[in-house]
Amino acid sequence: MSFKRSRRGPKLLATVVGLSCGFAAGCEEELPVAISDDLPGEPITVEVDVPWSDFASNLEVFGGYGSPRDLDDGFVANDFAGTLDARTLLRFSSYPRSATVRDETGTLRPDSNLTHVGGRLVAFFDTDASTNTGAVTLELGALQAEWDSKTVSWSFAVDTINDQRAWSEPGAGPVLDFGTAVWDPADGDSAVFALDSAMVAAWSDTTDLSAGARISLVEPGSRLLLRGAALRVDARPSLDPDTLVELLPQTRTTTFIYDPFPTPPADGIRIGGAPSWRTVLDLAIPEQLDGPAEFCAVVSCPHVLEPGQISYAALVLTSRSSEDAFQPTDSIILDVRPVFDRSAMPKAPLGNSLIGGVRGRAVPPGAFGSDPGVQIEIPFTSFSRDLLRGTDTSGNPAPGTLALLSVFEPYSIAFASFEGPGSASEPILRLVLTIGPPVELP
Amino acid sequence: MRSRAILVLLALAASGTPLAGQSIFNAAGLGVPVEPLDARARALGSVGIGLRGGAFTPNDPAALGRLSIATGVMAGQPSWVDYSSGPESGEFRGNRFPLLGVAYPAFGGMMSVQIGSFLDQHYRSASTGSVDLSSGTVGSTDEFEQDGSVSTLNLGYARLIGSSVAVGISYGRLAGSVDRVLTRSFADEAASDVDDYVERGMWSYGGHQVMGGVSADLGSRFRLAASVHVPTDLDAVATEETRGDDRSFDLPIQLRAGGSALLLPGLVVSGSVALADWSSLQDDLLGSDRAETASGFGVGVELTQARVLGRDAPLRLGFRRTRLPFAFDEDGVTERIFSGGFGISLNTTSEIVLAGLDLAIERGLRSGSNISENFWRATISLVASGF
Repeated sequence: MSFKRSRRGPKLLATVVGLSCGFAAGCEEELPVAISDDLPGEPITVEVDVPWSDFASNLEVFGGYGSPRDLDDGFVANDFAGTLDARTLLRFSSYPRSATVRDETGTLRPDSNLTHVGGRLVAFFDTDASTNTGAVTLELGALQAEWDSKTVSWSFAVDTINDQRAWSEPGAGPVLDFGTAVWDPADGDSAVFALDSAMVAAWSDTTDLSAGARISLVEPGSRLLLRGAALRVDARPSLDPDTLVELLPQTRTTTFIYDPFPTPPADGIRIGGAPSWRTVLDLAIPEQLDGPAEFCAVVSCPHVLEPGQISYAALVLTSRSSEDAFQPTDSIILDVRPVFDRSAMPKAPLGNSLIGGVRGRAVPPGAFGSDPGVQIEIPFTSFSRDLLRGTDTSGNPAPGTLALLSVFEPYSIAFASFEGPGSASEPILRLVLTIGPPVELP
Repeated sequence: MRSRAILVLLALAASGTPLAGQSIFNAAGLGVPVEPLDARARALGSVGIGLRGGAFTPNDPAALGRLSIATGVMAGQPSWVDYSSGPESGEFRGNRFPLLGVAYPAFGGMMSVQIGSFLDQHYRSASTGSVDLSSGTVGSTDEFEQDGSVSTLNLGYARLIGSSVAVGISYGRLAGSVDRVLTRSFADEAASDVDDYVERGMWSYGGHQVMGGVSADLGSRFRLAASVHVPTDLDAVATEETRGDDRSFDLPIQLRAGGSALLLPGLVVSGSVALADWSSLQDDLLGSDRAETASGFGVGVELTQARVLGRDAPLRLGFRRTRLPFAFDEDGVTERIFSGGFGISLNTTSEIVLAGLDLAIERGLRSGSNISENFWRATISLVASGF
């Protein structure tokens, strides 16, 4: 058969193909929604509390993580709660070497010939986190011995490997008395120490390892949180000796020392503090559940647990009062992370946060002071599934150890305390299980 | 020539959107059958057999033998559905491509390749409830979604025997897959840390089918045709991660017959019937859904001499009534459709249509199990020949 094609054919064909495909593809897709409420394989959801002895062991508290210097805050206390003494130590950067001033002709010029004539040290306090309700007197002194800001403590000015030097007087003493200042929270958040030229000169040499300021509290019974300190230096420029300029050197280091240093709890869980405390425990998600009765009433027991059935897993802790001197005045944010090698504790590397990084789990301060017995749930659902499966989602062996810690280390001089194993309110494992039959074809 | 034909089909296939469900009754049994019909058959209410002229309709394997040159066909089918069941009602829409094929002269007849869907299984459902936790009673939502279909790949051959009888046979592979996912979520603030529960099952379908047919012209006015579709069991094999079992479904033999008659010059009437006893599959179903005999008929009339803008543009009207093979209860589901449409020959040479477009519009009602489903459905099919 032979025939002659029309020359319009290809254009028409292309037009029709385009229109057809565009018409069909342009329609929005929506799935039919079945009206029946009967779903194939409808699951049940139950909550189960597993006692400590059935899922955890080897609880241990480790301390010494981080340094008070990392907190960048200071504390001062005097016989707080009958025990705690704390002092804040400061070190300053070099003073500005020049200032811009007007000369006799009124022209702005840099002047590097400055004479320090005095100044002020302004200390800023956290009015909410400080325990005093009235005015308190603060004492300022200049340190006299070389000290290391990272390792300094109540007893030692330097405490590094092969170099341990004690203070002549415990508590960073003795100091040169630079005067006192009164801070009344009702008047504001700052206290001002007046400085003369000799005092200012004492902190001007940054190569002097003994240079530093110590702030301490005179009246007993309070603990103050110092959020920062600013040194203001008054200087007389040579270009205009009739005026004073204010120089603003940086505060290079803010740290604190305290005494006594708390000992690890014998029967509980401790999280937080400065340096920080961590609590480590081994976990084993039970492969089979044979109770409690409420659970077995809806699920045939013994029930073999599968990872996909764990909708929620959390360690339930019951708070208790921390030592009076270390009770928090602000919320403590808890975190939980897997420990990759328990045998390497206290230096074992930790995995990523199991509860969302910096968000953590905030616990109000009252839970560790006036209102103990609060139940706190620290979830680790995906971790529990990996643990039951034996491997994580990448196929690596799942770690069986958890570390409880504060979301930042250190977070505060105060720490969180919880009931430990053996107490009436020992930690439990809370599981929310969703259990359903396999999805089958119709 | 052959490569151009393949390119045309690939272009058509690539332009398509994923098949989506077109009926709420997709949730019953193995779903709703997808018939590989073009717009002409849809407009005439036909089950796809016994129509005059050469045609690429897999339900009528012999009709392929009446084609004289290489032919490709594609059909697109958007639909708009609204449903109600007592106080509940809703609507949805979707597209599908029920027919995509190409035929080429070989061995004195026509060889063909055709792909399409056989059973549409897409749907989702949801229910709400509550769960008692130590933090209180929290709300939960269960959502079930089934995504999948049984598809076919058919290889066929047909030829004329003499001048009035055509025979055809095709072999098909049943394929496709289905993904069934049940998700329980806890949207309550008090349960924000509780993860969703997901139970999933995936199955791959496999099976075979053979279809044979014959058509005969009785004089110059009448045509009769019949076909039989013999499938093997439809095997559903679960993936390794699926907890559900492998399954096998006993698919029924499907019989179709139809005819058309030229009553007056330019006036053709047609009729067709289909019969398949799906109840043999009842024992293979686990749930309460029912498998029934799916019979149906359709009648239509075609005004073949109508013209639009100087081109042949046959007008068509039809009615069709069928029973769906699966239902939620013993009442079954009946589908009734009034249809209309027309065709346009875009390019013809020597009485051969080189490019043609057919359009059908259907208004239908599916009812059963206290559910009523009204739909508008358009079918556009494109035929290209002589490549």
